[in-house]
Amino acid sequence: MPKPSDLLQGTLDLLILKTLAREPLHGWGIAKKIQWLTDDELSVGQGSLYPALHRLEQQGWITAGWKNTELGRNAKFYSLTREGKQQLEREMESWKRLSGAVGLLLKRA
Amino acid sequence: MRIVRLLRVAHLRARSLLRPADLDAELERELAFHLEQLTTEKIAEGLTPVEARLTARREFGNPALFAERSRDQRRVRWIDDLRQDVVFGLRMLRRSPGFTTVALLSLALGIGGNAAVMGALHGVLMTKLPFAHAERLVIVQTFAIDQPRQASGASILDYVAWRDRSRTLDAIAVSLSGPRQFAAEPDGTPAESIPGLSVTPGWFELLGVAPLHGRWPDTTRDAASDAARVVVISHRLWRQRFGGAPDIIGRRVRINGVSRRIIGVMPADFRYLADNVDCWMPMILGPDAARRPGAGRPFVVLGRLKPGVTIAQAQADFDAIAADLANVSPERHKGWGARVQPLRQAMYGWTKAPLFTLQAAVALVLLITCTNIAGLSIARTTVRRREIALRAALGAGRARIVRQLLAESALLSGAGGVLGLVVAAVGLRVVTTALGPPASAPHLAGLDLDGGVVAVAVLLSVLSAFALGLPSALASGRMDLSSALNASGAAAGKHPSGHRQRGMLVIAQLAFALVLLVLAGLLAHSFLRLSGRNINMDPDGLLTFEYGVVPAAYAKQVGYINGLPHFELNVPPARTIDRLYERLRQLPGTESVAGISYPPVNSLVLPTTIVALEKNGTRDVREVPYFLVTPGFFATARTPIIRGRDFDARDTDSSPWVAIVNEAMARSFWPGEDALGKHVTLGNGPDERDREVAGIVADIPTRLNQIDAAPVIYASYRQQPSSYAGRWIGMFGQMTFLVRRRGDMASVLSAARRAVSEVDPDRPLVRVGTVQQHLYARRSESRNYVLALAAFALTAMLLSAIGTYGVTAHAVNERTREIGIRRTVGAGRREIVTLVGRRVVPLIAVGLALGLAAAAALSGLIANQLWGVSPTEPATYAAVSVVLALVSLLACLGPVRRAIAVDPTVVLRCE
Repeated sequence: MPKPSDLLQGTLDLLILKTLAREPLHGWGIAKKIQWLTDDELSVGQGSLYPALHRLEQQGWITAGWKNTELGRNAKFYSLTREGKQQLEREMESWKRLSGAVGLLLKRA
Repeated sequence: MRIVRLLRVAHLRARSLLRPADLDAELERELAFHLEQLTTEKIAEGLTPVEARLTARREFGNPALFAERSRDQRRVRWIDDLRQDVVFGLRMLRRSPGFTTVALLSLALGIGGNAAVMGALHGVLMTKLPFAHAERLVIVQTFAIDQPRQASGASILDYVAWRDRSRTLDAIAVSLSGPRQFAAEPDGTPAESIPGLSVTPGWFELLGVAPLHGRWPDTTRDAASDAARVVVISHRLWRQRFGGAPDIIGRRVRINGVSRRIIGVMPADFRYLADNVDCWMPMILGPDAARRPGAGRPFVVLGRLKPGVTIAQAQADFDAIAADLANVSPERHKGWGARVQPLRQAMYGWTKAPLFTLQAAVALVLLITCTNIAGLSIARTTVRRREIALRAALGAGRARIVRQLLAESALLSGAGGVLGLVVAAVGLRVVTTALGPPASAPHLAGLDLDGGVVAVAVLLSVLSAFALGLPSALASGRMDLSSALNASGAAAGKHPSGHRQRGMLVIAQLAFALVLLVLAGLLAHSFLRLSGRNINMDPDGLLTFEYGVVPAAYAKQVGYINGLPHFELNVPPARTIDRLYERLRQLPGTESVAGISYPPVNSLVLPTTIVALEKNGTRDVREVPYFLVTPGFFATARTPIIRGRDFDARDTDSSPWVAIVNEAMARSFWPGEDALGKHVTLGNGPDERDREVAGIVADIPTRLNQIDAAPVIYASYRQQPSSYAGRWIGMFGQMTFLVRRRGDMASVLSAARRAVSEVDPDRPLVRVGTVQQHLYARRSESRNYVLALAAFALTAMLLSAIGTYGVTAHAVNERTREIGIRRTVGAGRREIVTLVGRRVVPLIAVGLALGLAAAAALSGLIANQLWGVSPTEPATYAAVSVVLALVSLLACLGPVRRAIAVDPTVVLRCE
C-alpha cells in the first residue's frame, strides 16, 4: 500500500475534490471513502489529509461547516464550492491527459 | 465568480490571523473526532475499548505534528511566526542585558554616525542649490599656469574678454566683495562697516532669486546716473541695523560717503559663496571698462552654461579663449589660464575631503560594530547550542531557527536604528560644526534630519540585522544535533569553527580600530603641532581692530609700470593713520599700541613686494610678503628681536630708510652672512629708496598652518614712496591696530572707539576682537573635526576592546575544567596566564600588524589634510599601536583574573 507521502500532492487534491463532488463529508469520511472506492488500494493518512483539506479550504475550493453526523456526533463537514467544482474539472482534465500520456508511453515504449 | 472566492479567502485569512485560537480549537475537535472514529472502528473489529484506544492512537500518529502542518496551510503562518519570533527574541534579549546594552549602544553609534555623515555628504554633494538652473551655474576663475593649484578671481579685463568671446555661456555677471562703510544714522545708530558685494546688472537675475521686499537694481528703470546709487540689504541687516522697519524700501543711507536708496531686501536664507554679505550694490561697467586698468584679479565671475553644455565643453571653450588672449595681449594674459567650476563645487568643494574622511571613519566604526556584535552573537549561539538543538529536535525546521535568530538581530538593529536616529540628529550638529561655523559653510547650517538621513539609517539597520544574525544562523545550521544535545552542559559551548570565526572577527576589529586610530592620531598630531607652535607673538591681552580708508581717497592711477598699475599717493592717509596712532598711544589702560598694514597671521590677502639684492655683481630678485608697521610693533606683539632694533621715532621720511627682516629672510637672502646692515631695494615704484636692514626679528608665520618659516620684510609706514606701482594699493590706507591692554577689555575698547571717532567720525572699527579670537577663529572648526574623528576612533577602540574581552572570557569559560585540572596538578599563576594568553595575544598581534599595514597604505589619502606631519610618521603609529595593545590587554585582564581564581575543587566536583 503506498504511503501517503507517495501520493503526489496534486493527486491527493484531485482525490479529495472528486470524493466531495457528490456529498459533503468530514475528514474521516473522506479517508474511508477514498479507501473504499479504491478497494483499499489507496489509504490517505491523517498526516496528509488534514493539511490538504486545510490547504484546499484556504484556496477557496472547498468550504467547511460543523454539522451532526447520522449518529448525532458533531463533525466538520467539507463541501465543494462552485469554484471547487471548476477546479475539479480542470484537474480531471489534466489528470486524464497525464495518465493517457503515461499509458501511451507504457504501451509503445 | 472570482470575487466570491476572493472574499471567502480573505475571510479565511482574516480569521486565521485574528482568531487563531478558535481555529486551533476547531482543529483539535476535528482531529479528536477522527481519533474517535478510528477507535470505534477498532472496537468494531473486536478489540477492547482500552486496546482500541491505544491502537488507534498508535495508528493515528502525532496529532501535534498534523496540527502544526495544518496550521502551515493557513498562509498567514509567517505573521504568526514573526509574532512568536519577536516575543521570543525580546525575551532572549531581556535575559542578557549586558549583551543587549553593548549591542544597542554600538549599533546606535554606528548607524547614527553613518547616517549623520552621509546626510551631510548628501547635503554637500547632492542638494540642489536654491538658484534657478543651479546645475548650469559656474564660477570661472583664473590661475597662474605655473601654479595651477592656486586659483585667483578674475580681472575686469578677463571678465570683459570672457563676456565677449565665450560661446558656452548664455549669461555672465561679476561681483566684487569688500567692506562698505555705513555712516552713522540720524537716530544715533553708529557708523558700521558692512561686508558688501558689488554686482554687475543681471547678477540677481542670473541666480534667479526673488527679493523678500522691494526689487533688484534695474539699469533701464533707474536713471543711468542714479543706477549706481541704490543698495539691496540683507534680511539680517534690515532686522538688526534698521530694526526691521516696514518702510525700509526707499530709505536713504550713506555708504562710503555716497547717499544710496535702499531698493530691496534679500530673503533671509540667501547664501552665495560667502555667507556674511549684508549689502549688494550695482557695479556699472561703462563701455570703456576693458580699457580701464585693473589691478589684481579680485572679481568673482558667475556664468550660466547654455542648455546642454557640459563643464568639459565650457572648459575647452575657456582654454581656447585663454590661449587666444595670451596671444592678443600677452602683457595682461600671458601665463594665465581659466578654470570653469560648478557653483556647487565652488561653494562646498572644500568640505569634501574632510567629509569623506569622516565618512570612512564612521563606516569603519559601523563595520567594527557589526563584527563585534556578530562575534558576540556567535558566542551566544554556541552557548545556546543546546537550546537550539532542542528546538530542532522538537521539530523546528532549520529555516525556522535561522529566522528566529534573524528576528532577534532585527529587533536589536531596529532598536539600534531608532537610537541611531537620535545619534544622527546630534551627529549632524557635530558634523556641521566640525566643518566650520555657518559662515564658512552656508548650506550646511541648514542640514537637518531629513528623509535621506532616515532612509540611510533604516537601510543600515536592515544591513546590520543581516550582518548580525547571519553568522550565528549559519553556525547553527552546521550544528550536529546529537553531539550538541549529548555534550555535558559546560562543554556544549565548544565549537571549533565558532572560535576561528570569532578570532578572525577580533583580528578584523583590531585592524579597523588601528586604522582609525592612526588617521585620528595623525590629524590630532598635525593639529597639536599647529596649535602648539610658537608664532613669536604673545596674543594674550592683545586687542585688535582694523581701520581703513578706501584707496580712491588717497591714490590716483597715473599709468603702468611693467604691466603693473602705477598710482600717485596722497599724504593724507598716512597722516590720518599717524594721528590715530598718536591718539591711541595715549589711551588709558594700555601698555602699548602699534599697527601693521594687514593682520600678521592669517590675513585674507597677503601683499608682497619685490626685493632686489645686488650681490657680487648679480641681481637677485625675489617676491616676499611685505608689511608696513608703526614704531614699536615688535615690542607690542612681543616678537623677539634677534639682532638690531625695532622701528622707532627716528624712522621718518627724511631719515635714512630702513627695513626689518625676519630670520627666514636673513637666512635665505644672506646665507652665512650677517644680514644686519645689508641694503635692499623694494620694487614698489620709482620713488622707493635704498633701505638698510636695521633689525632681524623672529619668524611670525603668515599662515597658522604654515610649517616652515618663509621670508617676510617689514618697513615703517612713515618711510613710504609718494607713488606706488603694484597690486596692493590698499596697504597704504589701512592699519590693523594691536593694543596691549592692562585694563579690562570693554573699557579699553570703548576708549579706542572714542579715539577713532574723534579722529575720523565716519570710519568705523572693523573686525574688533582679541588677537586670540582672530588667530583661532578657524581653529575651532578643525578642532571639532579632529575631535569628531577622535571620538569615532575611541569608539572603535572601545568596541574592539569589548570584542577582545568577549573572546578572552569565552576562552577562559571553556577551559575552566582544564584550568582546574592544571591547578590541581600544581600549575602556577604564570602557567594559567600563559594558557589564556596563548589564545589571545596572537590575535592582538596579528590584528595590530594588519592594522598598521592598512593604515600605512591608506594614510596617504589624508596627506593633504596634514600639516607638518608625514602620513607615515612613525611616532603616531607607534603611539596608537601601544595604546591599542594596552587597551586590548587590559580588556583581557578580567577574564584572566577569573582564570587564576578558578578553584580546582569546585570545578572538578561540578562535572
